[in-house]
Amino acid sequence: MTVAELGAALGLTPCTPVSDREVTGAIVSDLLSDVLANGAPDYVWITIQTHRNVAAVASAQGLAAVILTAGRAPNEDLVSLAETESVTVFTSLQPTYTVAGLLYGLGVR
Amino acid sequence: MELLAADLHIHSVLSPCGELSMSPRAIVARAVEVGIQVVALTDHNSARNAPALAAAAQAAGLCALFGLEVRSAEEVDVLTLFDTPADALAYGDWVHAALPSVPCDPALFGDQVVVDGEDEILGFEPHLLINAIEQPLDAVCAEARRRGALVLLAHVDRPANSVLSQLGFMPDDLPVDGVELSRFGDEDRLRAEHPALGGLPVVRFSDAHRPGEIGYQQTQFEVAAAGVTEFRAALEGRGGRRAVPVRRALA
Repeated sequence: MTVAELGAALGLTPCTPVSDREVTGAIVSDLLSDVLANGAPDYVWITIQTHRNVAAVASAQGLAAVILTAGRAPNEDLVSLAETESVTVFTSLQPTYTVAGLLYGLGVR
Repeated sequence: MELLAADLHIHSVLSPCGELSMSPRAIVARAVEVGIQVVALTDHNSARNAPALAAAAQAAGLCALFGLEVRSAEEVDVLTLFDTPADALAYGDWVHAALPSVPCDPALFGDQVVVDGEDEILGFEPHLLINAIEQPLDAVCAEARRRGALVLLAHVDRPANSVLSQLGFMPDDLPVDGVELSRFGDEDRLRAEHPALGGLPVVRFSDAHRPGEIGYQQTQFEVAAAGVTEFRAALEGRGGRRAVPVRRALA
């Protein structure tokens, strides 16, 4: 499944250009240090954190996309760095648990 | 007794988020310019620019403390302030031993530059300093205290990397000397929302990442001299000493 297909299937709102990168897995965490330790290339990251270092960590780990949940909006500097680094950032009004469950149901394991 | 204007939360070029203009010498120059009488460097998870601050402060006749802003395993930021560069560096070794070996990509996070008091580059810290160390909050505070530090919970009103954002509450048994408010924070509101703060004193420092921010938040200490013991007495209101947090308009 690509980032674009995933965004459409979950009804996510894009904050940056949506890529066609193939998604290989996902990680749920609000600790950046956890993602630095356990994130992997082409993963989707589901989090409630909204600051600039979310984009920096996502790029450092080669993540394909970030989903900010529970109606949280990204800080401007998160969006600008994500655009520079070609990391797709979505928002969702749904809580992390629901987004993760739907993603799992779509076959992202 | 004298009234000392102190800004004890400042990032240098060693912090990836600190501007490259933030050399210890430039920090000291700006502090003198805006009337700050005591400065401290509090780079993320490292005190490697403490010797540079000591040299620059001594050259300018400015008082200095030497610190780190440690990020605990819970990603709570803690200010730890020591009287000497040696004490800060020794505690920094303890912190470094618990820092994951994740490299810092300067293009993403910023450069982590170690300098001397004359702005000469001595090297670069390779490990990402804004990572969380593998030590819990209570251990971070207790170890710093054991080594003689003044320990303050950083920007407790902020939505990320503060004790209240990460834990959601104020633990009642943390060995800390006070809590710091960011420029967005209001002390009355904080105390109303978190009665568990009890009698913990509030301080304000700039958390400066660029020269223009130095001193716009500060705490004025009425003390006999600058130093951890005197500042702790001021925070506790002992012996006629006191501490007054001040917030000014950002230039």
